[in-house]
Amino acid sequence: MFPSYVENPSGYRFEGQDPEEKILLLLRAHPITNLNWIVAAILLFLAPFFIPGVFLLLNFNLPQVPEVFITVFLLINYLLVLTIVFEGFLHWYFNVYIVTDKNIIDVDFHSILFKNIDVAPLRNIEDTSSSMGGILNSIFHYGHVFIQTAGSSRNIDLASVPRPHHVADFILDEAHKRYGGGGNADHHPV
Amino acid sequence: MEGGEMPTTIQFNLFESEMVLMFLKTAILIILAFYAIFALMVVRQVDLMSKTLITKVSPILKVLSIAQAGFAIGIIILAWGIL
Repeated sequence: MFPSYVENPSGYRFEGQDPEEKILLLLRAHPITNLNWIVAAILLFLAPFFIPGVFLLLNFNLPQVPEVFITVFLLINYLLVLTIVFEGFLHWYFNVYIVTDKNIIDVDFHSILFKNIDVAPLRNIEDTSSSMGGILNSIFHYGHVFIQTAGSSRNIDLASVPRPHHVADFILDEAHKRYGGGGNADHHPV
Repeated sequence: MEGGEMPTTIQFNLFESEMVLMFLKTAILIILAFYAIFALMVVRQVDLMSKTLITKVSPILKVLSIAQAGFAIGIIILAWGIL
């Protein structure tokens, strides 16, 4: 339902897309990168069940907190869980990398009010490189793709994307195919 | 202390003090007010995100963000009432 690697996606459009511009590849960070906020949300969700037990173990007498305050504290706790889950999902879902037949677009929402969009024309792509390091990266097969562009255009870094070697090759092949050069567009590493 | 007298310990319950409860109620309401402001900002953020990347999921996320803001405002009213 929420893929992180989609070739020729349907039902996706982005701000500033030309009518004839076609999305070739849509990428997000690998779903496993969401583990941080998922673990935090689960721990916070379970905290109210364990806190009384922990106080009992430590032989610590909690003062008699009124029932209504406990209810409100619980509500605040679950609001926090809701916020972590919703913000975590939004951050993952909308931070995307889009490869079209014209450009590479890096959409970043760093915080609640800060948006950054980098666009590099496909014809300006000079070089791509990919790297994969770490236990989780090796197990789940994700890593970084660095795209070097010509001129004053900003280089683009695709962070924690699935199948990084394939993505790097795909982008370079598309650049060669559409704007000259001798890339092998048919062969993609896994 | 005389021979037959037992030492007594005084049980002090912090939450019986009216001042403490008033302070807690104010603190909780301030936190919830900040949360409501945050939830309204999330509605704006989702709107902005949905315009940047248009997908089939965007309308659902918008509804969820509005529900979250409504929930936040509802909890302020509830907390104001029951505390």
